[in-house]
Amino acid sequence: MATIATPVLEEYAGGTIAREQVGLWRDGFRRLRRNRLALIAVVYLSILLAIAIVAIFWTPYNPATILPNTLTYLPPTAQHLLGTDELGRDLLSRMMQGAQISLIVGVGTSAIVLTVGVVVGLIAGYFRGWVDGVISVFINIFYGIPGILVAIVLYLVLGRGLGNIMIAISATAWMDMARLVRGQAFSIREREYIEAARASGARSGKILFGHILPNSLGPIIVQATFVIPIAILTEAFLSYLGLGIPSPLASWGGIASEGYAALPLEPYMMLWPALALSLTLLAFNFLGDGLRDAFDPRQRR
Amino acid sequence: MLTRGTLLYIAQRLALIVFTLIAVSFLVFITVHSLPGDAFESERVHGKALQLLLHEYGLDRPILVQYWSFLTNAIQGNLGVSFQIRGLPITPLVMRELSVSAELGGTALLITIGLGTTFGVLAALRQNTWVDYTLTSIAVVGYSVPSFVLAGLGVLIFSYWLPNVTNGVISYPAIWTGTYGTLVELSLPAIILGFYTSGQVTRITRAAMLEVLQQDYIRTARAKGLKSRVVTIRHALRNALIPVISILGPLVISIITGSVIIENIFGIPGLGKRFVESILSADYNITVAVFTVYALLIGIANLIVDLLYTVVDPRIRY
Amino acid sequence: MTDSILEVRNLSTHFFTDDGEVKAVRGVSFGVAPGETLGIVGESGCGKSVTAMSILGLVQRPGKVVAGEIMFKGSDLLKLSNEELRNIRGRDIAMIFQDPLSSMNPVLRVGYQIDEAMYAHDKIPKDQVKQRGIDLLKQVRVSDAERRINDFPHQFSGGMRQRAMIAMGLSNKPDLLIADEPTTALDVTVQAQILELLRDLNEQTGAAIILITHNLGVVAGLCKRVLVMYAGEIVEEGTVEQIFERPQHPYTWSLLRSVPRIDANRGHRLLSIEGLPPDLIDLPQGCKFNPRCPFRVERCFHESPPIEQVAPAQHAACWVTMERAYADMGAGTITDTSPGAASGVHPAGGKRAAEAEVPAAVAEAVND
Repeated sequence: MATIATPVLEEYAGGTIAREQVGLWRDGFRRLRRNRLALIAVVYLSILLAIAIVAIFWTPYNPATILPNTLTYLPPTAQHLLGTDELGRDLLSRMMQGAQISLIVGVGTSAIVLTVGVVVGLIAGYFRGWVDGVISVFINIFYGIPGILVAIVLYLVLGRGLGNIMIAISATAWMDMARLVRGQAFSIREREYIEAARASGARSGKILFGHILPNSLGPIIVQATFVIPIAILTEAFLSYLGLGIPSPLASWGGIASEGYAALPLEPYMMLWPALALSLTLLAFNFLGDGLRDAFDPRQRR
Repeated sequence: MLTRGTLLYIAQRLALIVFTLIAVSFLVFITVHSLPGDAFESERVHGKALQLLLHEYGLDRPILVQYWSFLTNAIQGNLGVSFQIRGLPITPLVMRELSVSAELGGTALLITIGLGTTFGVLAALRQNTWVDYTLTSIAVVGYSVPSFVLAGLGVLIFSYWLPNVTNGVISYPAIWTGTYGTLVELSLPAIILGFYTSGQVTRITRAAMLEVLQQDYIRTARAKGLKSRVVTIRHALRNALIPVISILGPLVISIITGSVIIENIFGIPGLGKRFVESILSADYNITVAVFTVYALLIGIANLIVDLLYTVVDPRIRY
Repeated sequence: MTDSILEVRNLSTHFFTDDGEVKAVRGVSFGVAPGETLGIVGESGCGKSVTAMSILGLVQRPGKVVAGEIMFKGSDLLKLSNEELRNIRGRDIAMIFQDPLSSMNPVLRVGYQIDEAMYAHDKIPKDQVKQRGIDLLKQVRVSDAERRINDFPHQFSGGMRQRAMIAMGLSNKPDLLIADEPTTALDVTVQAQILELLRDLNEQTGAAIILITHNLGVVAGLCKRVLVMYAGEIVEEGTVEQIFERPQHPYTWSLLRSVPRIDANRGHRLLSIEGLPPDLIDLPQGCKFNPRCPFRVERCFHESPPIEQVAPAQHAACWVTMERAYADMGAGTITDTSPGAASGVHPAGGKRAAEAEVPAAVAEAVND
């Protein structure tokens, strides 16, 4: 049949693999940019981040201070743009602090999950054998335990605090990531260019980080993005139940819990954290969806 | 269908479940017993009286011995006694509350699957139309908006703005009468819980259906001249449901997680509420017991899901 | 062509994609006589599958039949309602596809899938369906048919699956069976068996067969008449002997020359057709093969040749034809088959322009 003999094309064939790599990223970002929901999500999250950063230096009032001579449960007024809570603290300031907490917990947990999950997954998937056996058994046993239960128990053991809550939440979440990475390592390991690399004497570490990791980055990033809303949600749950971030630190979940009690009196107090949580979670979910659609290797070209 | 291979598989899985239960209960046991302070701190019991109390509960023994005695008792069905309420046996307590949680969770599961698959299929069949966008958005709202927000909203709507509709049956805060909830009383919490997890099901169903509709055998079915509805249901749906079954396991976990929250919000006397209470009141025997029961539930649910696979997909055999 | 059961006239099917309008099939016309075996040959992307799908109305968005008539038993298939078309599919015209594993529903039993084709139409009485299903499996030479009818597709081997698909196709005794690359996914030995089966079934049942393939050998094994398609058009048509022994279109000729032959001498270089098929969104002017044709003349750049008779029962769409190529351009002893090599004709701009003819897609990929 017709064969392609043009010299121009041979050059293309030789550079194919390297070019495919570049193509995937450029392709992906192009597709991501076209996804309007994801873009809106990014805009929203940037604003949120900005607010959180500003809150490091300035908030309208001190979030923890009970203001003298201020009414409790105020609806939004000129002085208190979001109203006040049950102790007379300014809600806007507390919400801003809550933004900090949510973002830190979300991203921090994701980072922990990413690190631990990727390392464990790579080791299990690449070296296989008994190493993989042990790791897999361990993961399979604890895979079915609801993360929230573990988080509660662990959190109590570790004591309250921002760092500890991140550790507690990631205690089960890393397993999903490890499984994913292990699967990726398994399949990529079999591909021919790995054999070629090994045949030319590359050391395991180099192969792991130089080849397997870059090629599985897509699903890994998507998974890590989805961990963020889960972490934020779990922290909000815990704070809502009174088991989370301690007062007087303001977490959105905590504000919501106090707001629930005041629901008949003053719906606003629950409205703000509800809105904030919903929008933030939606944003991260849309972003994750967008990333996933953009970097799904099957949809290329 | 019950081949030797399948029975072997079931046996293996049951063994794994037992192993898991032991591992989990051990870890939780050790963890809670290493918490600072002891179970009776709030009672302000000191000195001799404290020693006696500790001895009575066997808390003065080395931890491994304690665990061993817990384990041997548990196998016989005795999950120990509560600290807070002296001498209250845990097993009947947990069993009763398990049935409440199961009722809540079961109803929610039905809602989740029913709503989720219906929405997902419709969205896939009308891809990229307003039907699709609406249903997908509803799904996203479902899994993004925290359940306590939905709960708050639900309470607000039904208890305050439309109390006549429900005749005050769904009350705020729920005044529980200590028996199983009736279907109506459970309806709001179950609906919220069900709706919350249905978002995931909608997405998976839609994606699965879309992918199945691209398959060659759908083309064959059309080429055979089959009616459109037949193609959709008999050919597409049956295959699209397979990935849905694969998330049933995680779905059960989601519902359990969600029920912990919902029970605490609505004051439903189920396992979730008991779990949180036991943590707050340092009644750790109960904590361990509830944890173990949850692990058992999940293990069995996963096993049932895996067996369900063999029924639905003839390519899978153990 | 009188008393043909299927008559396609001027069929055009385009795909309206985000990147542009892909003119996959343009002005295709042919006929199929009762009981005839017709082969449609061409490279991937030449439009042969799309033509077949268009006949049965199976073209999905964003594709659409934009022009033409398809006459079958007195009606124009393109004008029928969905319901009427559905009655014809699987009953009067049946189609089988390339990959039998993915073409059968993995969760339903094979027998069920064969029977459902019969239940869906009312040609076979309901009480005979099940037995006929078993008989069909026997007819397509699946051993142990009574037992196998209850198996699932994954329990069959590749060849058996394709036989089952053929059984499915013939279950309602159609007048026409369209087979789209039925052997491509199979081993060579199994291929031969399937072709033999199709040949025998054609004789036994009298159903006409349209065989679509890119493999010339397969065509030679089964078909009496052949259509050659290129870039969405029919470029040549004739009997099997005519096409193989005296091809008149340079494309057909090039195809035949690029197939390795056992009886060629060792030193004989395998000739290839330089270049790529044209971009179906942005088609070149004139004859669509001109960027790759060794025998092109000036006219080829500007006017698209109509399909004309070149011999009894043989037609080709070419200004030059191989007859003239052999006579005037030394086609018999040619060694260089690069575009325009034999005729010495190049587009304005000379050799440089020839490189510019490399389709845009490739150029973009290289510069990426």
